[in-house]
Amino acid sequence: MSDSPTTLSTPAAASLARHRAFSLVRIGALAANTLLDLIRQKVFYFLIVFALVLIGCSCFMDFIRPELQFQVIKDVSLGAMSIFTWLLSVLATAMLLPKDIEDRTLYTILAKPVPRFEYLLGKLCGVLLLLAVSTVIMGAMFSVVLFAKEQFVVAGLRHELGGNPAALAEALKGVYAGTFSSALVAGIIAIYLKAAIFAALTLFISTFASSYIFTVVISVAVYLIGHLVPMARDYCLSGGGGFVAKATVAVVALLFPDLQLFNLTDDIVAGNAIPLPIFLHTCGLGFLYIAVYTCVAYFTFAKKEL
Amino acid sequence: MSEPAISIRNLTKVYPIPFKRERVVAVHDLSLSVEPGQVYGLLGPNGSGKSTTMKILLGLVSATSGTTRIFGRDSTRVESHEEVGYLPENPYFYKFLTAGETLRFYGRLCGMGGQALRDRVHELLAVVGLEDAEHRRLGGFSKGMLQRIGLAQALIQEPRLLVLDEPTAGVDPAGSRDIRDLILQFKARGITVLLCSHLLGQVQEVCDRVGILHKGRLVCEGELDKLVAIENQTQLIFENASPELLARFEAEAAACGARLVEKSKPHAPLERFFLEVTK
Amino acid sequence: MKRVAAILLLLLAFGAAKFPLEQRIGEAHRAAFFHGAKLNISLREQIGQGAFLAALSGFRGVIADILALQANDAWENTQWSRVHFLYKQITTLEPRVTVYWEMAAYYMAYDAAAAALQDEKQPRQLLRVKASREYMQLGREFLEDGVSNNPDRFVLYNRLGHVLMTKLHDHYGAYEAYTKAAQFPDCMGYEKRFAAYELAQCPGYEAQAYELLLGLYREGPVERTSTLLKRLAAVEEKLAIPPEQRVYKPPTKNP
Repeated sequence: MSDSPTTLSTPAAASLARHRAFSLVRIGALAANTLLDLIRQKVFYFLIVFALVLIGCSCFMDFIRPELQFQVIKDVSLGAMSIFTWLLSVLATAMLLPKDIEDRTLYTILAKPVPRFEYLLGKLCGVLLLLAVSTVIMGAMFSVVLFAKEQFVVAGLRHELGGNPAALAEALKGVYAGTFSSALVAGIIAIYLKAAIFAALTLFISTFASSYIFTVVISVAVYLIGHLVPMARDYCLSGGGGFVAKATVAVVALLFPDLQLFNLTDDIVAGNAIPLPIFLHTCGLGFLYIAVYTCVAYFTFAKKEL
Repeated sequence: MSEPAISIRNLTKVYPIPFKRERVVAVHDLSLSVEPGQVYGLLGPNGSGKSTTMKILLGLVSATSGTTRIFGRDSTRVESHEEVGYLPENPYFYKFLTAGETLRFYGRLCGMGGQALRDRVHELLAVVGLEDAEHRRLGGFSKGMLQRIGLAQALIQEPRLLVLDEPTAGVDPAGSRDIRDLILQFKARGITVLLCSHLLGQVQEVCDRVGILHKGRLVCEGELDKLVAIENQTQLIFENASPELLARFEAEAAACGARLVEKSKPHAPLERFFLEVTK
Repeated sequence: MKRVAAILLLLLAFGAAKFPLEQRIGEAHRAAFFHGAKLNISLREQIGQGAFLAALSGFRGVIADILALQANDAWENTQWSRVHFLYKQITTLEPRVTVYWEMAAYYMAYDAAAAALQDEKQPRQLLRVKASREYMQLGREFLEDGVSNNPDRFVLYNRLGHVLMTKLHDHYGAYEAYTKAAQFPDCMGYEKRFAAYELAQCPGYEAQAYELLLGLYREGPVERTSTLLKRLAAVEEKLAIPPEQRVYKPPTKNP
């Protein structure tokens, strides 16, 4: 090496270009790097499990009525999507910071002209991209299975009721009404948003957590408690109850996100449509959570002694 | 006069111990300055405050009091990092990335891109001798290769200052010598190097100036040659000298009032021997 | 320490801001989804703590599906009271999934009612008939509850009409149910006709039924099914419409 003919170029007029306080290029580099790293850690293997769940609930349910089969496919697939994206979000995000600190990669990154806020934002964007890719893939797999099942049932009906066009039309109407609807997309977006909120929240927790396990445990606790927030809120707004009990429950309702608001799939699978303004409000709330958690993550991380 | 590459003034770092009233003073009123183009060795036993000083300089840890400047710019400001390349002790990097991807990633963090970045990556891979490993993932790299990729990433934006924390820790003698040669090459190119190391022999080979930290205080600092030279002693080494000749030298010296301190056969350095055997 | 307090305060302040926001969006969801997921404590006692938590955490549909599979087993083994019990829980979990109400009613009013008539453990025919009728009533109750949870959908009105028509022979009730179903644009083509058939069988409503049947007859040949013609003839007979005014003239045999 020392006898290598290659020599170093002289330092460094190039680096004297004006430093930008905020750079999308740096955030993009961090996000792409996080995504690539996670993908190469073979996180997408969980999709095989998802596929098995899909196959299981679509192939071995022939003994129940077709309408109920559609119901089961939708319930189970969307439930699995919800749990997988959430798990992926928590587990992937929780290890980002501790791993970078342990491997000292964080030191090399922050020793470059990278503000800490950009580092956090880049990492978060990487996880959000990963979640988006997985949600799209799972959504596509789900649609294919549902479509296949629909076609299978339709073919059966055509065979059975071929001689009676009126009855066939009625039956087909029922089948089509029970399979795809645009509200399903809204439900899937809500699943993604919930996972995205957890990515931001987990990142925040990991900025002060002492270990990976701690971060995961706290995130799971927030998940469980977050679903009880509407009950806590109702209790606060209702009459009666002692001051101490009310104050305690109020703290829960204030500190934890109301995760029930992002559980749209149960109601959407039940055939409800969600009005666009309400859906947009729900999305807005989701973005607000992500923004707030990212900001508090920065406040704790900004002065962290590494 | 040009700005010093590193200027540390009255730096103190105190770590509070949680839930206790005690505090640990990691660095105590440290002042030092490194001139551009110098290779400066920061020495000291474990826990003497070397790493803390480096981390403060790089903005990873905040100072309790005092200032740190890099080429005149306050080192707590992110912009000042444009001038610095840093190699931490035992770095690991993203093991699922290839060497090329790793360097391109760090390049983009420094605002580089396009053909300029691709050229720079190839140049640096050649400098550190990893051209063949461009498409190999870091997970399969040896310690020495990791250290070299670490050096390459530190140099990616052509910084004027390199901060190296134990760059040869855990690396075999051949790798160690390569890294030492690289440091000398950087020096020849005018890059300032701040080097933290336990391996005093190596420090002695490359450093112009050293500072020794002990319990957070700078106990000694100066030009290496002046610090280690024993002013009232002189070393002579002969080849093919007969015992008679040596006896005459000894007698002459005694007559002039000088004292012979040591007479021995010089050893070939073990490092050279090892390198020859493993060639 | 100061920083921790500051962050906690910040989160609480954000909480105070989001509290009314979440309350509003929650109400909007409830309004949009009608009865939505108002899970109550009695449900927790019924389905157990774990399933209750899962139901709260967005797996209501999955829990309901699992219970439906259990109900399917119970149905295969003709354990009718278990089927009833399970469907009570399922419909509490998923009041807006009409297929559950339908199936619950079908199992009760048709399958369980038919099985009760052949119950070998019950030697007395009268008691068998009584038990069968009770199951039909249970089916009707499911559909009535279902309708009140889903007043915006035709399908349960339609099924209620079927049960009242074919099982309980409550013709006026069936007429009302079919009439409600007929008001939905996506309803079955026969809702209006069935409403008219049923009203034609209610003593005292002949004139009204005549209007309905006549209206349908005049809509064209598609509506002129054999049952419609039969009912029309019967109503005209009861109302003693003079033969020359009768719309429906039985085909005369050629001499």
